Amino acid sequence: MVMNSKSTRNILLVTALAAVAVLSACGGGNDKNNNAGSSTNGGTTGSADKEVTLRLFSNLPDRKSGQGLAEQMVIDNYIKANPNVKIDIETLAEEPFKNKLKAYMASNEALDVTMVHGGAELNTLVQAGYVKELDPKEYEGDTFKFLPGVYKSFTFNDKLYGLPRNSDYEVIYYNKKLFDDNGIKIPTTYAELLEAGKQFRAKGIEPMSMNGKDLWSFAAFFQDLVVRLTGDQNLMLDAVAKKKNFTGDENFTKAAELLAQARDTKLFQESFMTADYGASQNLFTQGRAAMWYMGSWEAGMATNDKLPEDFRNNVNVLKFPVVEGGKGKDTDLLAWNGGGYSLVSSSKHPEEAKKFFDYMMSADQWAKIVWDTGAAVPAQKYELTGKESELQKQLTEVLTGATSTAGSIALDSGTPKFKDDAQNAFGKFFAGGTTPEQLLADLQKAAETQ
Amino acid sequence: MQKVFNNKMAIFLFVFPGILLFALTFLVPIVLSAYYSFRDTLSPGTPSAFIGFANYTQLLLHDSRFWLALRNAVLLGLGFILIQHPIAIFFAIMLDRLGGKAEKWFRTIFFIPCVISVVVISKMWLSLLDPTFGAFNKMLDSLGLGMLKHAWLGDSSTALISMLFILIWAGFGWGLLFYYAGLKGIPDDLYEAASLDGASGFRLHWRITVPLLSPVITVQITLAMITALKQMETVFLTTNGGPGDSTQFLAVYLYNKAFSASQYGYANAISILFIIVCLLATYISNKLTRSDATEF
Repeated sequence: MVMNSKSTRNILLVTALAAVAVLSACGGGNDKNNNAGSSTNGGTTGSADKEVTLRLFSNLPDRKSGQGLAEQMVIDNYIKANPNVKIDIETLAEEPFKNKLKAYMASNEALDVTMVHGGAELNTLVQAGYVKELDPKEYEGDTFKFLPGVYKSFTFNDKLYGLPRNSDYEVIYYNKKLFDDNGIKIPTTYAELLEAGKQFRAKGIEPMSMNGKDLWSFAAFFQDLVVRLTGDQNLMLDAVAKKKNFTGDENFTKAAELLAQARDTKLFQESFMTADYGASQNLFTQGRAAMWYMGSWEAGMATNDKLPEDFRNNVNVLKFPVVEGGKGKDTDLLAWNGGGYSLVSSSKHPEEAKKFFDYMMSADQWAKIVWDTGAAVPAQKYELTGKESELQKQLTEVLTGATSTAGSIALDSGTPKFKDDAQNAFGKFFAGGTTPEQLLADLQKAAETQ
Repeated sequence: MQKVFNNKMAIFLFVFPGILLFALTFLVPIVLSAYYSFRDTLSPGTPSAFIGFANYTQLLLHDSRFWLALRNAVLLGLGFILIQHPIAIFFAIMLDRLGGKAEKWFRTIFFIPCVISVVVISKMWLSLLDPTFGAFNKMLDSLGLGMLKHAWLGDSSTALISMLFILIWAGFGWGLLFYYAGLKGIPDDLYEAASLDGASGFRLHWRITVPLLSPVITVQITLAMITALKQMETVFLTTNGGPGDSTQFLAVYLYNKAFSASQYGYANAISILFIIVCLLATYISNKLTRSDATEF
C-alpha cells in the first residue's frame, strides 16, 4: 500500500492517537471505579474503610479440606473482622500454579498476596522485583512466633522476601492395614524397605506410590539416601553449589546405586512415571499402594472425611529408613521451609494487602488453624490441643525428635535451570534406565552449567 | 460505492484496524521475542545483559534436547503424512461410497475424537494405557499376550511411539473431514466415465480420486507439518515431555524453559528458531507437493 497523500498521513496519526487514548482510558477506568466504591461504603469500623478487593493467588485448590480449608478459614476470619475487604482467591494445582505465577510475574499482574515456593522459584520472582522485601524485625515476637532458622529459603542477599507457612519434611506415609494383613514387616532399614517392596509386589499390591511425572520427589529421595549414608546434611547442597563434585565421590556413587536398587526392584508403582501428584496420592489413599513418599504437608489426610475411613484409620508415618553401614541416623531429617506467602510489588492496595498478610501470618491464624485442623505442621510455634490426630502426633514426633535438619531441599538450592536439568536427569534415570554413573555425571553437568 | 473504493483514504481506513491488530498481536510479539532471544533474561523485567548469539549457538551446537524435540516433531509430521493421511483418505472414500443414514452415522463417529477436549483425551489415554488398571493392558491379558503388558507412556522405550499413536489417532477426524469434503467436490460422472472405460476398484481411485484430491492433499501435508511442530497440549498433559525427554516436543520444551527453568531469553531463542523451522517446513512441503490444479 502506498501512502502518497498528506491527508492519509494525517489520518494515520489521528487514528493512532485515538487508539492510544482508548487504551489509556481503559487503564484509568479502574481507579474511577475504586473511588466510587469507597464513597458508597459509609465507614463501619473507622477511617481506613474504603472498600477494597484483594487478590490472593494460591496453590491450594481444594477449599474444603486440608490446607485449602485452613487458608479459607483465615480469609473468612479476616473478612469477618474487616467487612470492607473482599478477597478474590485464585487457586491452581501445584505445577500449573508455578507456571501461571511466572506468567503473572511476566505481565506484572497486580496480585496482592501470592503463595510462593522458597528457594529457586522465589529467587526468580525476587530478581524480577515482583515481590516485596519484608522487614524481619516486624515478625519477631509473640504475635508471630516463627521458629528459628525458618527464613532460609525466603532470604536472598540477606533480605527477606516472604514468610514460610509450614515446616516441610519428607516422610514415608504407610498403610498399616496393608502391612498387617500381608504379614509384612514395617521397614526400618533400606534393605528391609526394598524387601517389603518385593513382598508387596508379589502379592499384587503397589509397594510405594510416587509422583514421578513431577520428578522432584526423586531428588528428595536421593538426598535422603545421601544423608543416610553420610550423616552429612550439607554434602548434596555443597555439590549443587559446586563446592563438591557429584562424580568421583564414593558416597554419591553408593547413593546412586541404592537409588538404582529402588528402580530395579520396582519399589514404585508401575505407572509412576506418568503419575502426577494427585494420581500418586489417589493410589495411596485408595489403599492400592502400601506407602507414599511425601512431605509433612499431607498431615490432613487423617482428618479428610472424603477419604475412605478404613484408610484414615490406618495411615501412619515412617521415618526414612537407615542405610546399612551408613553414618546417618533416622533422626537426620530432610526438613526445610518450602511454601509460604509473599507480598506482591505491583499490588494496587499495598497497605490493605500488608494488613491482611500480617493477619494471615500471625501465630493465632494460619499456624493455629492449620495445626488445629490437622492440615500441616506450621513453621511457627504451636501448642498441642490434645485433639491431634494420631498422624499429627507421629509427625510432631518426627520433627521434635530430629537431631539435624537440611534447611533446604537440594533441588531448590540451585537455579531454576539446575532444577530443570537435574529433574530431567532423574527422569532419564528412572524411565530410561541410565546407569548410576550417568545419573551423577548428568547431575554434575547440571550443577556446572546452572 | 465505486467511488469509495477508489478513495485511497477510505481503503486505508478500512484496512488500518486489521493491520493494527495484526501488528500488535503478531509482529510486535515476534520482534520482542527476537529482542529477548539475544539476552540472558530470566523473565521479562529481570535485569539482563545482551549476549549476542550465545543462546543460538548453545541451542544449535550444544543442546541435544532441542534437537531431540525437533526430531520428535518431524517424526510426528511423517506419522501424520505417511500413516494418518492414507488411512483418512481410505476411510473418506469408504464413507463417500456408503451413502444414506450410515454415512452420516459414521461421519459423526469418526469425528467424535475431534470434538472432545484435549484434556479429556489426554486423561483418557493416560488411564487406557495405565499399566495397572488400563484397559489396553487388560485387553492384552485377555488375548493371552500378557507378556506384552507395559507402562506404555512411562517407559522411555515406548513413550514416544505411544505418544505418536495418540496424536495420530486424535487428529484422524480432521484429516478425514477434509478429504471427505474434497471427495464430495469430485463430480460423479468422472467415475462413471472411467468405469465405462473399464477402470475399477483401486485403479479408479489411484487415477481419479488421488489426482483430483491433490489440492486438498497439498494443504493437508502443510497443515500436518505445522500441527506436528506446534504439538503442545496433549504432550504437556500426558507426559510433559518425559520420561527423560523421550516425548519432548518443541513447544513443550520452549514452555518449560521459559516458565519452569526460568530461562526466558533462551526460550525466546527457541521460539525464533521455531518460527524459522515452521516457515521452512511450509516452504519445503509446498515445493514438494506443488502441482497444477486439475480442472473439471
